[in-house]
Amino acid sequence: MYEQIGIWLAAFFTLAIYSFLYKENPVYRFAEHVVVGISLGYFMVYTYNNVLEPRLVRPLFVEGQLGLIPIMLLGLLYITRFFRSVSWLSRYPIAVVFGMAMGLSFPRTMLSMVLRQAEATVIPIYRTGYAWHDVLGSVIIIVGTLTALIYFFFSKPHKGWFFGTGSKIGIWIIMIAFGATFGFTVMGRISLLIGRVQFLLTDWLHLIE
Amino acid sequence: MRRTIPLLIVMVGGIMMMIQFFIPHQISQAVFGLYTDYVPVIAGFALILGVGSLTRVHYHKVRRRAENWQYSLLVIFFLYLMPVFGIILPASLGGQAEEPSVFHFLYRWVQIPIQSSMFSLLAFYIASAAFRAFRARSAMATVLMLAAVIVMMGQVPIGDYLGKWFPALGLWILRHPNLGGKRAIQLGVGFGILATNLKIIFGVERNWLGGAGR
Amino acid sequence: MAENNSIWDKLFNMDRRWIFLLMAVVVIIPFFFKMGLPINTTDEVEGIYNYVDSLEQNDAVMIGFDYQPGTMAENQPMSEAVMRHCFARKVPVFITAVLPLGNGLAEEAIANLTDPDEPGTFQRVRYREWHSYDYGQDSLPSRVTHDQLVNLWERDHQLREDAMGWVFEGVDYVILGYAPLFHIVLLGMGRSIVSQYPADLYGNPTENMPMVKRNKSAREVDLGVTVAGSSAVLWWLTYAHESYGMPIAFGVTAVMATDYLVYLQSGQIVGQMGGLRGAAEYEVMLKRDGYSIEEGKAFRGMDVQSIAHILIVILIVVGNVAYFAGGYHRKGRRLRAGR
Repeated sequence: MYEQIGIWLAAFFTLAIYSFLYKENPVYRFAEHVVVGISLGYFMVYTYNNVLEPRLVRPLFVEGQLGLIPIMLLGLLYITRFFRSVSWLSRYPIAVVFGMAMGLSFPRTMLSMVLRQAEATVIPIYRTGYAWHDVLGSVIIIVGTLTALIYFFFSKPHKGWFFGTGSKIGIWIIMIAFGATFGFTVMGRISLLIGRVQFLLTDWLHLIE
Repeated sequence: MRRTIPLLIVMVGGIMMMIQFFIPHQISQAVFGLYTDYVPVIAGFALILGVGSLTRVHYHKVRRRAENWQYSLLVIFFLYLMPVFGIILPASLGGQAEEPSVFHFLYRWVQIPIQSSMFSLLAFYIASAAFRAFRARSAMATVLMLAAVIVMMGQVPIGDYLGKWFPALGLWILRHPNLGGKRAIQLGVGFGILATNLKIIFGVERNWLGGAGR
Repeated sequence: MAENNSIWDKLFNMDRRWIFLLMAVVVIIPFFFKMGLPINTTDEVEGIYNYVDSLEQNDAVMIGFDYQPGTMAENQPMSEAVMRHCFARKVPVFITAVLPLGNGLAEEAIANLTDPDEPGTFQRVRYREWHSYDYGQDSLPSRVTHDQLVNLWERDHQLREDAMGWVFEGVDYVILGYAPLFHIVLLGMGRSIVSQYPADLYGNPTENMPMVKRNKSAREVDLGVTVAGSSAVLWWLTYAHESYGMPIAFGVTAVMATDYLVYLQSGQIVGQMGGLRGAAEYEVMLKRDGYSIEEGKAFRGMDVQSIAHILIVILIVVGNVAYFAGGYHRKGRRLRAGR
């Protein structure tokens, strides 16, 4: 029975959101505000149940691991952000979290997003078994990456045979890439709508299997 | 105390963790272990900022009886209803153990449909944009449009009926020219992250301090 | 001006709500005609499928529910498909989430895959149920494997007739759930999973779970699949793959899919599912190999997707024909903005 009530409620809210397509209205606004509250409320519950309770509250207050007191105090300093005179104290937990995270990120990002990517651009154009379009493809990957980088490099004017021609080829490559993104964006947006229509026609109206 | 020490903590911590990657010494490993064990817990408290600001904004709206203040009341009501049913009274709807709790009911039948319907609204706007804004005004725009159409039709099964070469061409565009352009962009993103890391560690970028207590 | 009342003007000044209506009709009607257009699989998705297909019960997979309900139409079929594949191959699955909203989606996925009213699903046994069960003279090995547990369990219990197999919480899957600063959590799990997740989503202590005993840290996990609607996938790449070599696969929304192919070509990930199409391909392979009796939501959605794409192409063509035929490309003729 709860499932049935739930499905009708879900259908109501789905249609409430779609009513926006006709025009902005109080029912839409109602749904919009409900979801803001529920989202953050959900966030609160799991932050406590899933993180603070098993990793701080239980070990500290039930098992008596007093070493966790500084962690708790540091975390509580976030509250000072709401009191102007002491709000600077909230910088301490941020600094502890932030600084080391930046240090951890640097070498790893260097590897994953820069070095490995640069390496993957240095590839043989021809390998046994390559068809002509594979060869052309490899050339385009190499030339495309270089020229698109030249296009994004704004410290030098885009003139001369290297920077001028390079950036001109680069912009064409980027246009094709954006075209592909647009095509996929259309696909993604429609998929989301399909998901909702599937719900309305199947679970709510039982019109299709 | 107010600025220097936090900046110093960031610098020392940042440099230490960078060194840790290259020289995994016992001490640096121990610090690394402590950090990964406890920092997510500290970060959990950051939620206070989100909940606090949202409450404050909507509370003021209600108190001042600002336009549409009733909606703000709604936000606050649901914001605190969830923890009541999630933490304090994790009750099921009918009192039986196997029945869903109120908390899960609200998530499944209110949160999921509203949020997914909101995202799906964009399908309508992209259809409208395809008609009104997507023009072959120049050679470059034409290339962009052709790439989009080929890739779009190549991804759906009906594309196969236009000819086997059609999806193949779509995939070729994805795997080669698209890849070249995107690699340049991803490299840019990578360099951007590296620059931000260094700027924060060395105190060049200080926005994270916020305006507080200056 | 007569010129402003041409058919092209009328077309452009048409209320855009007509286009909305057209879109709605095009997405609703095809659902009533089952076309079942065949979907060919691509290397990108086969990469993940073949990798998972090579794993068995001594291995482990970690699936990140790194998306929100907003993109679940695209992402949920992906995570359900990979999870079904793991369950059928008895590969233990660790479930994590970058945001709390992922917790509920993970529960939803498990509920769908173990729905007792649907044929071809799995029969779930909760952790407390099998862990506190009295097995008589035989004691339960602390690192019990799926097959061992099935042997013990089936003495007193019978598998549902139309079920594909048993799924034991704590042996075949565990929902670890959300933890803040997930990139740091990934690093931490490289040392120990229990230190990051002392309890699962339901408060059961993870250290007693056989699958956690057999895979103490994320270093022992054989594949991480991050299903995401955000750039959280890069955290997995940077903090799990580059830090301790966990093989990674992406399941991303179509909007992001074209961006992340670069990581497949560089060999940093084993495969990528992009959008509904990627999920549909996975479903096709699951059915081909008998891991499911029919394809899922993604495959069924692809028929509709085909028709909707045709509509978009027609809109682009009509828009351009009207633009040029109406002379709007000439200087001085501006398009009035309609509603």
